[in-house]
Amino acid sequence: MASRRPAGVDGPLFKQALLGSLNWLATNHEEVNRLNVFPVPDGDTGTNMLLTLQSAVEDIKESNAAEVSKIAKLASHGSLMGARGNSGVILSQIFRGFARAVEGKSSLTPRELAVAFEEAANAAYRAVNKPTEGTILTVAREAGRSAAAAAGDDDATVPSVIAAAAAGARAAVLKTPSQLQILRDAGVVDAGGFGLQIILEGMLKTVEEAESFHVDTTAARPKAAQVALDLPEGGWGYCTEFLIDGTNLDLDQIRNEIEALGNSVLVVGEPELVKVHVHTDDPTRVIALAGGFGKILKLNVGDMSTQHKRILDSESAAGRPPRANGVGLVAVVAGSGLVEIFRGLGVDAIVEGGQTMNPSTQDMLTAVDSVPYDEVVLLPNNGNVILAASQVPSLTKKKVHVIETHSVPQGVAAVVAFRPERNGADNAAAMKAEAARIQTIEVTHAVRDTRSNGLKVKKGDVIGLINDKLEFAGADYAEVVNKALGKLGPDAYELVTVYRGQDASDDEMANLESAIRSNFPGLEVEVQQGGQQHYPFILSVE
Amino acid sequence: MNSKRRFAVVTDSTADLPDEWRARYGIEVVPLKVIFGNETFRDRVDMTDDEFFRRLAGATKLPTTSAPSPGEFAEVYRRLAEDHDGCISIHLGAQLSATAEAARIGAQAVEGFRVEVVDSQTVTMPIAFLCRVAAECETLEAATAAVEARVPKTRVLALLDTLRYLEMGGRLNRAQAMIGTMLDLKPLLLVADREIKPVERVRTRSRAISRMVDYFRGELPVEHVAVMHAQAPDEAEKVAAGLRAELPGQEILIGKIGCVLGTHTGPKALGVVYIKK
Repeated sequence: MASRRPAGVDGPLFKQALLGSLNWLATNHEEVNRLNVFPVPDGDTGTNMLLTLQSAVEDIKESNAAEVSKIAKLASHGSLMGARGNSGVILSQIFRGFARAVEGKSSLTPRELAVAFEEAANAAYRAVNKPTEGTILTVAREAGRSAAAAAGDDDATVPSVIAAAAAGARAAVLKTPSQLQILRDAGVVDAGGFGLQIILEGMLKTVEEAESFHVDTTAARPKAAQVALDLPEGGWGYCTEFLIDGTNLDLDQIRNEIEALGNSVLVVGEPELVKVHVHTDDPTRVIALAGGFGKILKLNVGDMSTQHKRILDSESAAGRPPRANGVGLVAVVAGSGLVEIFRGLGVDAIVEGGQTMNPSTQDMLTAVDSVPYDEVVLLPNNGNVILAASQVPSLTKKKVHVIETHSVPQGVAAVVAFRPERNGADNAAAMKAEAARIQTIEVTHAVRDTRSNGLKVKKGDVIGLINDKLEFAGADYAEVVNKALGKLGPDAYELVTVYRGQDASDDEMANLESAIRSNFPGLEVEVQQGGQQHYPFILSVE
Repeated sequence: MNSKRRFAVVTDSTADLPDEWRARYGIEVVPLKVIFGNETFRDRVDMTDDEFFRRLAGATKLPTTSAPSPGEFAEVYRRLAEDHDGCISIHLGAQLSATAEAARIGAQAVEGFRVEVVDSQTVTMPIAFLCRVAAECETLEAATAAVEARVPKTRVLALLDTLRYLEMGGRLNRAQAMIGTMLDLKPLLLVADREIKPVERVRTRSRAISRMVDYFRGELPVEHVAVMHAQAPDEAEKVAAGLRAELPGQEILIGKIGCVLGTHTGPKALGVVYIKK
């Protein structure tokens, strides 16, 4: 593309800027991953942000919209659907605030761009219950402030405003350790904030050079989370997705006509480009109908029945009658044993993921929409999945209760408390209360030297986290578990359930079990094959 | 025996009828059977509950149980016909056993003797309560009406140490009950409305016991209540003491479950059983 000096930010330039951000984040996301505060082997903030951004630009690539508002709206919707992990969800809220701020505008002056950056940060603050300083939120706000200050100059340009935003972000990222003790202890800056800095830098590179980088969207995309469903016989139709490229498209009319042909309908976009998602028994009719509005792009039809049937056959779902309360259960779980445990307790759909692979909002939405109940309880079972899960209720017509389970043990306790004859709201309250009673101990190995929570940790050490907080380090599993159980105070508890990970050997399992039994004779010990990755042992203490 | 009463009360061994009531009201008890290999024992006649659980612990193969035959019932009814105008025969829930059906067929074999067979829909002590209600009525009609009015209000709230025995006996479908097979759950089961269903799933026994008492509190007021157990006298005593403190003036009995029921519950079962008001 020919070089040009941009006077304002229009649709094509904003599109290029986002593609540039994606490219730059793709190059640097591993560095973001390494900034995990705990030396646990599943740092994935960079990956989560990259996948969220990929989803944000997914539909934009097809759009030739001239107006910045249309590109921003597509980015907002795409990032919301693809949001993974806490940083990904906050990123999606930043896009949402930006899209709101530029609504109806075809092009942005440097001043308007700065206002949009500030609004984007405000929207992100509003989306979080308890905003914490020293995180991506602070970085977004400082980027907006710097942009606003730069826009006040008489000779402000688009590149100068973006440059100020990126510089503001960089300065804010460097300050994060002074705002958060855990960052200071670990000797790292905030990963999500750093990711946002990279996104802004990618934008800056693009507008400065005013030429698009080649973006390889197929690069290193981790395996998408699988949605495995436990469904009754019968058709669940086809998950059908496409874009309609046309002029003066009437979204309401399209939505109405498509709703007559299926369910889980989503119609979003602009009069020139509309994204459609529907579960239908007759995709041919949907496509013929949509073809009447404009040109169909990026058609994707998935046969949900076949996919589900295969899972049904292999799982031998022992003919469960429909549940009396009409409430379905969806859980995010990884590890073959844990999947089996959750299924055995009555969970209807499992979204595979969790510690190592945070599922997207879309993955969870698909699972929620696929269970044969209009009301659903959703269990994220991981601190990093909770925020993405909390987006699901606003995206579906179903009533969704998100129980904020931070760990697998909390998830098990919540599911155990589910009663099929009790209504959804009462179940949600009881499940939440049960989850809160559980203490979780997670045991793994440090992936680097660090200090955290006043503890000196060497790479390779066995480390123990109690309720997501790094508490102990030691030479072997039994030693760390002993300290952790000692800290919890065994007299207050009756039962320890050990979920054995795929990396724990028979000897390690036997040693740990006998150590708990001999050191804490008052506790019952139950061993379950969890099959989870990275964490040789997860313990539930109740 | 109450000389004014011209009708008899019959039940079976799964009523866990206290010996004292049996003597005071002259209630006839027809035993079910427990079969270890090729040895058959009459419940509460040839074998006490203590002997049974001792034997169960050492058994390589689980025992089976069987209902009395229609002929055994006919024999009892024929004997009663000699000095009674009729009888009420109250039995183990038909959803769980063929006992009530055997009583019905047995009754047809005794001509000229009126037998009101009642399917109690329940197990253990609530059947004994129904027998006492019947025995305290003046006429067979009044007794039948009083008992049938109470059948839908019988409840057995049970906590089993393991579901193995219930499952082996074919009385529970884990998938339907959402109990799963992997985790060691302590489900709180409720026998009501011809069904056994879990009302709570709990992971530890002490919490399960407190949930059982909580659930029972939600069922108050009750007309009759007892705490039943299989080889868990201390826990039963504790639960009963708690209930006595909460419900002054209410009769709260403690009873032991017999061999036939024990075959399906296994040891360490604990229950609060009652008839709702």
